[in-house]
Amino acid sequence: MAERLLDISDLSTYFFTHAGVVKAVNGVSFTLHRGETIGIVGESGSGKTVAALSLMGLIPDPPGKVVEGTLLLGDRDLRTMSDDEMRGVRGNDIAMIFQDPMTSLNPVMKVGKQIAEAIVLHQSKSKREAWRMAGELLARVGMPDADKRVDQYPFEFSGGMRQRAMIAMAISCNPDVLIADEPTTALDVTIQAQIIDVMREMQAQFDSGVILITHDLGVIAEISDKVMVMYGGRTVEYGPVDEIFYNAHHPYTWGLLASLPRLDATEKARLTPIKGQPPNLITLPEGCPFTARCPHRRPECRDQWPKSEIVGPEHGVNCWIPKDERVALRAELPHFKEPAA
Amino acid sequence: MSLLEVRDLKKHFPIRTGVLKRTTGHVYAVDGVSFDVEKGETMGLVGESGGGKSTVGRTVLRLTEATGGAVTFEGVDVMKASRSEMNALRRDMQIVFQDPYASLNPRMRVRDIVGEALKIHKIGTESEQKKRVQELLETVGLNAEHAERYPHEFSGGQRQRIGIARALSLNPKLIVLDEPVSALDVSIRAQVLNLLEDLQDEFDLTYLFVSHDLSVVKHISDRVAVMYLGKLVEVSDSAVLYDQPQHPYTEALLSAVPIPDPHTERSRKRIVLEGDVPSPANPPAGCVFHPRCPRAQEICTTAMPALASTGDAGARHEAACYFPARFPGGQRTIASEPFEGSLAVTSP
Repeated sequence: MAERLLDISDLSTYFFTHAGVVKAVNGVSFTLHRGETIGIVGESGSGKTVAALSLMGLIPDPPGKVVEGTLLLGDRDLRTMSDDEMRGVRGNDIAMIFQDPMTSLNPVMKVGKQIAEAIVLHQSKSKREAWRMAGELLARVGMPDADKRVDQYPFEFSGGMRQRAMIAMAISCNPDVLIADEPTTALDVTIQAQIIDVMREMQAQFDSGVILITHDLGVIAEISDKVMVMYGGRTVEYGPVDEIFYNAHHPYTWGLLASLPRLDATEKARLTPIKGQPPNLITLPEGCPFTARCPHRRPECRDQWPKSEIVGPEHGVNCWIPKDERVALRAELPHFKEPAA
Repeated sequence: MSLLEVRDLKKHFPIRTGVLKRTTGHVYAVDGVSFDVEKGETMGLVGESGGGKSTVGRTVLRLTEATGGAVTFEGVDVMKASRSEMNALRRDMQIVFQDPYASLNPRMRVRDIVGEALKIHKIGTESEQKKRVQELLETVGLNAEHAERYPHEFSGGQRQRIGIARALSLNPKLIVLDEPVSALDVSIRAQVLNLLEDLQDEFDLTYLFVSHDLSVVKHISDRVAVMYLGKLVEVSDSAVLYDQPQHPYTEALLSAVPIPDPHTERSRKRIVLEGDVPSPANPPAGCVFHPRCPRAQEICTTAMPALASTGDAGARHEAACYFPARFPGGQRTIASEPFEGSLAVTSP
């Protein structure tokens, strides 16, 4: 078994607002191993970004607070660390790539300097040495004319180049854990393909663990080893990528897969949307947040959150419907696909 | 006669610099685009950002004035229409915008947003207008009571329904849908796509569907036009295009879309294009795609090839390429008939 990098159990992050308590992340658990990619999939407001920011210690307090959970990085607990210790962790042990590379780069600082900053901070290199390394890193992530680009400002970069610069910055200190929050959402598909390639190469080179946050199930299918499906702050289903796509057990996962227009569709079929509107995070029920939109809901769903049930190898689901009933329901879905042998 | 005919459409935005705001160059957003849209069909316009697809949609409606070319709607020349003719045309041609947050006035009630066009065109009495607004809201899956609310009280998907109700208010024939589902979550996106299909059947609508999302376009379109740097590079019946893309850009674009099926993904071969999309202010000479093209040769740097039939029997399938997938050896350089005309077309 590969080395365990992260062990998160029962993470809950709430935001205390005037309108009420927003339970953005509610009892989320997972482990990340070296060389592994975990995809967190969910729609806006499902809590996937807040979960990642909680790991980084970047939840704005107030109004937000990690109210529960143990967040182990190796054998160190991230929650009990001082601000100073956390600063040592960020960038060095855990690095993050954000969705919008324009707003996450400093517009008035040369790209090379922004990359060098982290190197100077974490690796006690001289400025000159760090600058040279910044150029090398840019070349490594496939930046054309890296030695010229290092001396330029973010506005002179295209979206794809900015995301490459972000990746260069993230890998500059050789982190064990790389969190990528919608890293390709703002990019065109041909550029997305380039960036995914770069991320894959970097992961192979550094043997890091990657947490990939995205709403795009295509990207998940392409690069994840494991998948966590989130809805309304809860993990509704968790498992190896093939289990989630071919042996899904949660009605929300079914709904997501059925509502996708697909490039590989052979005939024109009507989409099956999930009925209803996204949930209001302040008035979520105590039980399953998907209750209101679930076509198979039953009386117990609203009031009590079901325990995780193991339904396959490393595959867990939180749902009140008994397993054999679920399997029967699933078999009737028009879009359900058994895995190709 | 097609419902909408677009011929050699051009939109060049001037780049003005200095104190005197002298024009120092142009952004060639749309540069010689021609296509037809038949009544009742959905024409998809795909491509990456900066390709000019939204500009085509807006220019067709004269929301921005074209630099050149012709747009004919039901035989009427849209570009030359007078103010009053344009007023009449606008009842038949409507648009739904991408961002449901920016495209609805936050200070107007839903009834005023949806009913505004009825007032402007003086259709019906006040009570008839009110009734019509309620009908429209129900048509798009909202309630009549929603008329009194403000946009901020709605979710993204519901707002997009309001935008669609507004577009429907004048019983248009053609609706330009400019990335109508791009800002929506997947589960809501499917709801809105189904709604658009239902409305098309019910009201016999024609759609020009602009989107960067190839899966969505495949799902909704009968025909698809692929744009790159202001040019159409391939036009075809949707099924044929996705099955047998001929232009290398279309091939790369399709192969770059990740498919939500892990088994398929693992066995797929991906064409990863090098580099970025060049600036439309300074498009490459010759074929606009040649700097990134895996099949580019000498001839590709000389002139932009014209759209020409790919030889698919029964399919209206055209590609603008010297070396389409079917003839990678450059068969079309020998077939000089449709080709020679294209040599006269030079890049600006």
